[in-house]
Amino acid sequence: MTEYRKMDCDLLVIGAGMAGMVAAARAASLGIRTILAGNSGSLIFVSGMMDYLGVYPMEARKSVADPALGLAGLRAAEPDHPYGSVDHEQILQGFDFVKKVLGKAGLAYHLSGGRNLSVLTAMGTLKPSFMVPKTMEKGTRLFGETAEKKSLLVIDIKGLQGFSARQVAAGMEHRLARVIPVTVEIPGISQTIPPIVLAQLFEDPKVQEAFVRQVLAFSDKVDIAGMPAVCGVHNSLGIQQRLENLTGLPLFEIPGLPPSVPGLRLKNAFETSLAASGVTFLSNVTIKDPVFNGKKFTLTGSTDNRELSISAGGVVLATGRFPGNGLHARRERIVETIFHLNVHQPVTRSLWHGTDFLTRQGHLVNRAGIETDKDFRPLNKRGAPVFDHLYAVGSILAHNDWIRLKSGAGVCLVSACAAVDRFHKRRSKAGP
Amino acid sequence: MEKTIETQVLVIGGGATGTGIARDLSLRGVRVILIEKSDLNAGASGANHGLLHSGARYVHSDIEAAMECRSEGLLLKQIAPHCIEETGGLFVAVPGDDEAYIADFPGMCERAGIPCRPLDVKDAGQMEPCLSPLLIAAFEVADAAIDPFKLSIENMNHSLAQGGKYSNHSQLKEFIRKDRKIIFARILDTKTNETSRIRADIYISATGAWAGFVAAMAGVDIPMVYSKGSLLVTGQRMATRVINRLRQAGDADILVPGGVVSIIGTTSLRVKSPDNIFPSVDEVDLIINQGKQMVPDLGSRRYIRAYCGVRPLIGSGGTDDRDLSRGFCLLDHANDGVENFITITGGKLTTFRLMAEKTSDLACERLGLPSVCRTRYLALPQTEGSGWTEPGVSLGQGSSFHGREEMMCECEMVPASAIDAIVAGIRKNRAVPDLLSIALRSRMGKGPCQGSSCSLRVLSHLYNRGEITGPQGVDGLRRFLNERWKGERALLWGTSLAQSSLKEMIHCGLFCLELGQGDLP
Repeated sequence: MTEYRKMDCDLLVIGAGMAGMVAAARAASLGIRTILAGNSGSLIFVSGMMDYLGVYPMEARKSVADPALGLAGLRAAEPDHPYGSVDHEQILQGFDFVKKVLGKAGLAYHLSGGRNLSVLTAMGTLKPSFMVPKTMEKGTRLFGETAEKKSLLVIDIKGLQGFSARQVAAGMEHRLARVIPVTVEIPGISQTIPPIVLAQLFEDPKVQEAFVRQVLAFSDKVDIAGMPAVCGVHNSLGIQQRLENLTGLPLFEIPGLPPSVPGLRLKNAFETSLAASGVTFLSNVTIKDPVFNGKKFTLTGSTDNRELSISAGGVVLATGRFPGNGLHARRERIVETIFHLNVHQPVTRSLWHGTDFLTRQGHLVNRAGIETDKDFRPLNKRGAPVFDHLYAVGSILAHNDWIRLKSGAGVCLVSACAAVDRFHKRRSKAGP
Repeated sequence: MEKTIETQVLVIGGGATGTGIARDLSLRGVRVILIEKSDLNAGASGANHGLLHSGARYVHSDIEAAMECRSEGLLLKQIAPHCIEETGGLFVAVPGDDEAYIADFPGMCERAGIPCRPLDVKDAGQMEPCLSPLLIAAFEVADAAIDPFKLSIENMNHSLAQGGKYSNHSQLKEFIRKDRKIIFARILDTKTNETSRIRADIYISATGAWAGFVAAMAGVDIPMVYSKGSLLVTGQRMATRVINRLRQAGDADILVPGGVVSIIGTTSLRVKSPDNIFPSVDEVDLIINQGKQMVPDLGSRRYIRAYCGVRPLIGSGGTDDRDLSRGFCLLDHANDGVENFITITGGKLTTFRLMAEKTSDLACERLGLPSVCRTRYLALPQTEGSGWTEPGVSLGQGSSFHGREEMMCECEMVPASAIDAIVAGIRKNRAVPDLLSIALRSRMGKGPCQGSSCSLRVLSHLYNRGEITGPQGVDGLRRFLNERWKGERALLWGTSLAQSSLKEMIHCGLFCLELGQGDLP
C-alpha cells in the first residue's frame, strides 16, 4: 500500500551530500523550518578532507601554498567560478561554521591557520587540503622545514586492500630521513576486510592491544607513525589517543580508497547534527515534479511505499553531478534532472573530455553545470533567475572543476552557507 | 659495449602473425627470437572483432580470401578449440539494403564452397531476439568467435616451450647493413633505456601497420596506407551468434560475441600514421547509429570500452607477383637488394596461421633448411595462466572463490592468485610486471568500474609482494589509467560518465596523480 502524506516547510534542501548537509545545518542555525531530502550514503565516497583551493592555476605544476592568493587569481581570471560570488572571509567563515557543526556532533576537525596542509595519501602522494579530521592533523606537520630529519613508521594492516605501507614508504623515502614500513596483523581477519568493518574492529580494546603490541617495537626507532584511516568509526580521536598513549608514538591517519571511514564519520556527524537541530531528514526519498504556484513550491517525494507532497517557500538544489544524478548525461547533451534547468555545457560531446585522462587542464565536462547569479540562483537562457527562491549549490555549479582545483568541499560549504543566508535575508525582508 | 645475442631468425612484432611465426619456426627446430616494442597484440591483432570468418563476408569482393578463410577457420577449430567459441553466424539485411547483393549471396557462397543456409526471417528473429523485427533476409553461416589475446599468448608460450625467446618493450632502433645483407639489429629496451644487438641469419618484419617504418630501416620502401577501424564493447552479450549485415562491407556491420560481452564495429577512416590513434566521439556515434538498424538495442546499451586498430594496406607500389594472395602480403626483400629480410603484413586474424606458414617456408628456404610446417596438424597446447583474457571466463566460478580467495578485480572476479600467476609468467620472461602488462594478460580493469579500484588494489598488492619497489609504481598507474582512458573517453555518458567521475575523484581529487611527484607541496 502506498501511503500519502503532506508536508510543509520554509526551505527544502534536495541532496544529502556535503553541500546539502551544510545547507540544512546552516538553515537550522538560522531557525528556518527545513526539510532535507536525499541519500547521505554518497558521503562514504568522500575522503573526509575538506579543500579550499589546492591548485591554481591548473597549469602551474604545483599546488598553491596560500589559497587566498590562489583565490585572488581565480576570481580575476574566472569570475564565473562559484568563488566569484564570495570572498576569502566568507569562505573562512564557512569552514569555521562546518567545523563547529561537526565538533558539536562529536567529530573534531583541524582547520588550517591560512596555508594549505600537505596530506600524505595511501598512494604515497601528497594532497593539498585546508581542513582535515583531527586524526590526520599530525601528519600534516610532517612535511615542514625539518622533514628531512624526521623518521616515519608507515603501518598497513593485513587484509586491508589498496593500502601498502611499502608503497607509501616508496613515495616518501626521498622527503624524510627514514621511512619504515610495517604490516600489522589483526587476529581474526582472514583474507580481506573492508575499511569500515576494520574501523569497527578497532573499537575493540583487544584489537587495539594487538595493534599496540606489534607497533611498540618501533617506538624508539621513529618520531611518528601513520596508519590507514580505520581508527574506529565512533570516537576516532579518543581511540587514536589511547593508541598513542600505549605505543608512545604520535599517530596520524592516512586517507585511502573509498568507501572511506572518514566519509562515514562525516555522514554520522551530519546526521547527528540534523537530528539535534530539528531538521526533518527524509533519507532515500526521490524528489520530482516541482510545481511553483507563484508563492510556494510543491514537489513530490517518493520512496518504495510512500508518496509525499512537500510544500516549501524556497528550494536549495544540492543534488550533485553525475554520480549523484543531479546532472544526467545523455549521448547528445547534459540535463538537470529535477527542474530541467539550463545546463551550461560544451557544444558537442566530442569536447567533453580531452585525450589524456590525467590532463592538467582538466576535462571541459567538469566545468558544465548550472550557472547562477551572485546569490546562487539558477539562471535561464536569458540570464535571469528562474525563480526568486530556487538556489543551486555545491558541485552542480558550472565553471567549477573542483577535482583539478582541489576545491570541492570549499565550494560546497560556501555556496550552501551563502545561498541559505541570502534566502533568509530576502525572506526576512519580505516578512512572514 | 653492447651485448650481442645471436639467433637464426629475428621476428619483429608480437601480434598474431609474429607469434604464429615464432611458434612455426620453433616447431621446425629453428632458433628464433621475437621482439615487440610494447607487448603482445599491441597493434591490429589486439584491436579487431575477435571474429573467425566463415569466409562469407568476402564472397562478393574476394573469393580467394573467402576460400582461405573457410579452410583456415576449419583448421583452427581443430587445432585451437580453447581459443574459439563455435557460435555460428547470421547474415541479415534490413529494408534499404541492396537487394541485388542479397540475391547473389547464396550463389556466391556456393561458388566459394562456403556453407550457407537461407533462413525464414521469423526464425532468425527467434534464434536471435535482439535482431530488428524488420529483417528482409537472413542466412546462417559457420562464423565463430576467437580470443586473439589467448591465441597470441598460446602461440608464444608454445614457441618458448620449444626454445624460442620473447622480449617485450624491445624496440628496433636500426638495422646495420653491409652490402646486400643486414648484419645486426640494434634493439632498445624501453624500460631500462639500454641498447643491445641481435645478430640473425634472417630478419622477419611482422609489424602490421608499422611494416613501412621497419622496412625503411633496411633501406626498403613499402608504400603504406593506414585505415583506422574502431569498435565498441557492450556491457553484456547481446547475441549467441556472430551477426553480419548482409551488404557491401561498411560501417558497424558485424556484431561478435566475446564471452559475456559483444563487440560491434567497425569504421574505416584513413589516418596519416598508425601511432597515437584513439576512437573518436563521431565514430562511436556512427557505429551506434548504423548498428542499431540491424540490432535496435545497440541504441540504448551501456558500452564499456571502445578501441581501434589500423589496417595495414599496401599502396599501389607493390608488384602483383609478390602478392601471395589478395588477403595478405609476403615480401621477399631479396628483390629490393636485401637478401635476408622478409616482410609479412596485411591479412586477417583468421588466416594468421597460413601467413606464418608461408613466411616460415620462405625463411627456411633462405636458411637452406629443408623443413616441414607442423602447425597445420599439431594442436596448440593450452597453458595455465592464459585463461584470464577471455571476457568473463571466470564469472561463472565467482561463488567458488568467494570468501576463500582474495579478490583483486571485483567486476571481472580476478583473484590475487591469478595476478600472482601472471606476474610469475612475466618474470619468467625476465620482464618487469606493471599494471599494463598485467591488464593485458587478464580481465583486470575491463569491467564497468573502468579500473578505478582494482588498479589501486593490484598496485598495493605488487608492492606488498616486493614485485614493485621505489616510486615507479605510481608512474605505472598513470600509464595504465591513460591507456584505459583511450577506450573510455568517447563512451562517457549515462552511468559510464558517473563511474568515470568517481574514478577521477579518487585518482585526481584524492591521490593527485595529475600533479606528478615533483609538483607536490
